[in-house]
Amino acid sequence: MAFLKRFFASGSLFIWLSGGALACSLLLIGGLLSLIFINGMGYFWPKDLVQLTLNDGTQVLGEMVDTQRIPETVTTAFPEGQTRIQLKVGNRDLYGLDFRWVDEEDIAQQTLPQDVVAFERREWGNFYGWITEVWDGDTRLAKGRDQAWNVFYPFLEQTEAIHQEIHHIERDVIGAINHDIEQARLNLKELELNGKNLSEGSAASLQEDIQTREAAYQKQTQRLVGLYEQLNRYRVTLIDVEGKEKTFPVGGIVKAWRPNQMSVWAKIWMYAENFWGVLTEEPREANTEGGIFPAIFGTVMMVLIMSIVVVPFGVLAAVYLKEYARQGLLTRLIRIAVNNLAGVPSIVFGVFGLGFFVYAVGGSIDQLFFSASLPNPTFGTGGLLWASLTLALMTVPVVIVATEEGLSAVPREYREGSLGLGATKLESLIRVVLPCAMPGILTGLILAVSRATGEVAPLMLTGVVKLAPALPVDSLFPYVHLDRKFMHLGFHIYDVGFQSPNVEAAKPMVYVTTLILVLVVLLLNMTAIALRTRMRKRYAGASV
Amino acid sequence: MAQSGIPPVSSPALVPSEKPLTLVSRQTAQRRIRHLLDRVAKYVVGAGGLATIVSIMGIFVYLMWEVIPLFQPATISPELTVPVALTDTQASNRSHLMVGIDEYREVPFVLQGKHLQFFSLSDGIPMPEVGGELPVGGEPTSVIPMGLKGTTLSIGTDRGLVYPVQVLYRSDFQGDQRTIIPSVKVNDPVQVVPEGMGVRLHAHVKRGDEFQTVAALTGSGELWVTRIEEPGEFSFTDDVTVTKHRLVVPPQVHLTTLTLDSIGKRLVAGTMDGHLLAWEWQRQGFDAMPQSMAVGAAGDSVTVLSYLLGERTLVVGTRSGSVSTWVFSSGQSGGPLRKVHAFRSHARPVTNLSVSQRDKGFLTADDQGTVFLHYSTTAETILEIEGNGKAIGSLRYAPKADGAVWLGEDGTLQTYAIHNPHPEVTIQSLFFPVTYEGYDHPEMIWQSSSGSDEFESKLGLMPLMFGTLKGTIYAMILAIPLAVMGAIYTAMFMHPHLRAIVKPSLEIMAALPSVVLGFLAGLWFAPLLEKIFPAVVAIVGFLPLVIAGCCLLWQFLPIRVKRMDAYGLDLVVMMVAIVLTVAGCLMANHSIEGWLFGGNFKQWMLQNLGLTYDQRNAIVISFAMGFAVIPIIFSIAEDSIANVPRHLVAGSLALGATRWQTLTRLVLVSASPGIFSALMIGFGRAVGETMIVLMATGNTPIMDWSMFNGFRTLSANIAVEMPEAPHGGTLYRVLFLSGLILFGFTFTINTIAEMVRQRLRQKYSQF
Repeated sequence: MAFLKRFFASGSLFIWLSGGALACSLLLIGGLLSLIFINGMGYFWPKDLVQLTLNDGTQVLGEMVDTQRIPETVTTAFPEGQTRIQLKVGNRDLYGLDFRWVDEEDIAQQTLPQDVVAFERREWGNFYGWITEVWDGDTRLAKGRDQAWNVFYPFLEQTEAIHQEIHHIERDVIGAINHDIEQARLNLKELELNGKNLSEGSAASLQEDIQTREAAYQKQTQRLVGLYEQLNRYRVTLIDVEGKEKTFPVGGIVKAWRPNQMSVWAKIWMYAENFWGVLTEEPREANTEGGIFPAIFGTVMMVLIMSIVVVPFGVLAAVYLKEYARQGLLTRLIRIAVNNLAGVPSIVFGVFGLGFFVYAVGGSIDQLFFSASLPNPTFGTGGLLWASLTLALMTVPVVIVATEEGLSAVPREYREGSLGLGATKLESLIRVVLPCAMPGILTGLILAVSRATGEVAPLMLTGVVKLAPALPVDSLFPYVHLDRKFMHLGFHIYDVGFQSPNVEAAKPMVYVTTLILVLVVLLLNMTAIALRTRMRKRYAGASV
Repeated sequence: MAQSGIPPVSSPALVPSEKPLTLVSRQTAQRRIRHLLDRVAKYVVGAGGLATIVSIMGIFVYLMWEVIPLFQPATISPELTVPVALTDTQASNRSHLMVGIDEYREVPFVLQGKHLQFFSLSDGIPMPEVGGELPVGGEPTSVIPMGLKGTTLSIGTDRGLVYPVQVLYRSDFQGDQRTIIPSVKVNDPVQVVPEGMGVRLHAHVKRGDEFQTVAALTGSGELWVTRIEEPGEFSFTDDVTVTKHRLVVPPQVHLTTLTLDSIGKRLVAGTMDGHLLAWEWQRQGFDAMPQSMAVGAAGDSVTVLSYLLGERTLVVGTRSGSVSTWVFSSGQSGGPLRKVHAFRSHARPVTNLSVSQRDKGFLTADDQGTVFLHYSTTAETILEIEGNGKAIGSLRYAPKADGAVWLGEDGTLQTYAIHNPHPEVTIQSLFFPVTYEGYDHPEMIWQSSSGSDEFESKLGLMPLMFGTLKGTIYAMILAIPLAVMGAIYTAMFMHPHLRAIVKPSLEIMAALPSVVLGFLAGLWFAPLLEKIFPAVVAIVGFLPLVIAGCCLLWQFLPIRVKRMDAYGLDLVVMMVAIVLTVAGCLMANHSIEGWLFGGNFKQWMLQNLGLTYDQRNAIVISFAMGFAVIPIIFSIAEDSIANVPRHLVAGSLALGATRWQTLTRLVLVSASPGIFSALMIGFGRAVGETMIVLMATGNTPIMDWSMFNGFRTLSANIAVEMPEAPHGGTLYRVLFLSGLILFGFTFTINTIAEMVRQRLRQKYSQF
């Protein structure tokens, strides 16, 4: 009894409870990160294909995805502890759904057929089954599972090359022609708006120009038709686990592998390939398959442009506040206000960006410089530039605060020494103070970049889209298209996870995107923290 | 580093070939340039810095700028006055007169009896080439507009015929030049009353070739209804159905005005003694007997009557000058009428009424020519145009609700431009309950759009502010204990080495993109919680007990082991205990559900608490958003606790206080302002959080504290609706207003927190 009394009086209990709170928080964070990691990393692994024979004789083939206890409402008839297995059965064109639950009790037999093939297709998701025949037009090239596979496999690389070429023509060549035609049309319209006669002088040559380009366009389309024919020349006949046949052009298949025959090393290699593919490829099937390259590219572009804007202005404001402004009530108030802007909800900046940048500034720019293409807006709609500027505005307080911190960390002796040696204020600022405050500025920039990378809400209003037809940078003048809409990693997560029709099939893609985003943000933040620690250590002694 | 900053003052002296004199002048010149540069830099930095700061502040100004038009009063300005020769000797006989205008307000028309005249407002002269005498048999005795849309009207004559007349406007574009070309078309008449009787008063609706219904009152007070239905696409016969019958008007009742709804199935009449009579269409025809309801004082004759856009609300004007709106209760046909709003009274007989085709606004005029513009949703009388003492013959609200035209009895046709872009928004309608159409009592609702044009937009911000508060509070319920207690432990009881690892790793989580949290909350946690909710309840209940138990057992360990807490052994023990508890509860989820909730917690809740369970609810938000604010609260609170001067703590411990006593009596007391500001900043972050609530709540704007329901916050609302809001429209500006509210709210909270923090810093620096 006395022990308990002493125990309560010592307060250890409350200390432990507060420790428990901390432990909870740490576990939550750890759990969250591992959740993202496990789900994100698991996506790339070529899983074995399991063939199940059920008690009623049906055959099921697929990747095992999940095992769970059967919910109460379903199991009233079953004893306690029943589990069921979720299989990714693919073959959406045959079954309608990619996933299927199988009760463990129903399974009579479970095998790993060696010759089963997994196909990644351009449409309809994956196909799991066997390849039985290969066709060239109407002639059969191969028959039988192994023979067909051996004949089919080299074709895959061929068609990939054709796809590359089609892609090149569609996007680069035809894109360039379209761009030129559009430009010529706009010039024509401008002449028309200026009241010029359209049948003479420069106008006539423009018309001619359009015609020649349209001819070129026709030629390219012809070429495309030929390529598409080539693509569909070879066909394969696939058969699923229940014996349903499906004939498919080789051009519709991205990748094929026999997971149950692959060694661990082969799987690791394929894992790396898949990872690389996601980083570098373009999305397919409403963003739920393929890669996320445009989203990565858009994010990087936006952050770059934002940095170009945010650093000079943020540093300028900080230098003014710290070095030039008279310290007093006003600067204190300004400092508080700037500090607090960092806490203003990002969506408010989005609203501002939409109203001010997009409608007010963008609208005026269109009136002044792009009147020929009105009423189609050029800058009067969301785009890369406006999104970047909005985020710059949002993150400028971060840079100001960090830079100020960096400036305050520079010991007074450095400034006084420089001034005492006869340097002007500007000279000592540029040569002494700013270089010393560089880690602070960098910290601010990195924090700003990290915040901008993960921010989605303001972008939804200022120019991010689920699928951008073209990257903001290409080979056409002026090379960087600030008016274009772009894709973004964070928005990709929102869009694929919440707006796509087949959420279950899209989930792996969202986890992968999440993983990449989280990695980038954490990496940036760790760099910032490391920099700040170094900076503090360096001047810790000097500032006394 | 400092050396590189030394300006090369002495370097010219090292060049031997320079003469001393030039050296001096060169030095001076150089110095001048350097100082000039310095001064220029001062101004450039000043200007640039100030510009940056001002432009940040400009956000607030710009938001205000976009919001202010919402609250600007409506204005009206006269445009053009055209004298019209009144042909009728009895100019005051309003039943013969009709004015109208096209949607660009360029070509008004005046119909007097059967004489139609168009005017071109660009020069104010009549357009004789169209209009003129209409081919109408007999003398017109009743001229009325047909429905609200367009410019169709109906002429009843003294021979008992009713002519539908269409006034058509065609816009012709030549380049940028727009010309309005009016034309008129008189359709086949309908015999509505027995021959030999004249139409004194009538109501007429017609939809294309499908059907038309005419109700007409004869000079002798008989009320006749005719309904003509063309065979529909799916009907079996090709016959035109004509139903014609006489309705019973109660004795001693004199009808003053008639109105039909647009499908012609409800007839409402106003009476001389202040009643409304309503006849409903039942299968074969109208009720024989009407329902009668008093809408004014006895003897206060109903003078004008019309449906508002959407046909849920009736506007009634009376002889005493009162203007009010009425609805058929609970939207069911035949129910008794219920008064919704009373508007500013004219205090003189109301003579004219014209209803907007765009919104819930309408114009009324009295016999002195004074015109009011009312708005039904807000019950406001927005505009008042003083009359000139002469009554108005005919009045018309412009098709786009941006102007009006009326013809005075003195023969002047006057057009006006009305600037009233946001009639549905007032402080009242934004923040207080409003009786919307179809609701029985005032409510606060957010429903900005719907499929129909006739929809009454409900822009009450309260449900959204409520949602914001609800989300924030639920997030704080989880975040405050975890973050503050974690901060206390880290700052006070943790070994510095361990703290150097734990603190940054928690802080770095503040940078975790909220879209990630939202995605996990919405797609991973919400479906999971639905399954393991009983286990979660058990975890919350058990965890403190388990920790307490661990603590008790720890006391019995040898001191050598206890010393290991410097390396975090106690933390490891706690973590293991927590993991085991969580795992245990999850495994026992099924049994817990049976034990606590009788096998099915959703059913249990519905039966015992009357609560329904949404998958995306406030508990999910509590975890997800709590997660987002824990690092922020933790970081600031930890700072303020750790910054309590060490010697105070040491002194307290030296005097024999336990660690816990030192904490509660000394450290927490002096750090409390810092903890307070930490909570404020966390609060501010939760208020403005967008992506998490967007993804993990159902975004339903309901006002309900239940933790099993979703909600919609101001920020998520902006994200959802802004992309669809037309630039400059009411919704657009209201969304700006909600942005401004968010801005103001977070800015204030953060400022308070920041000031508290600064004062705390000053206080500590005194020690």
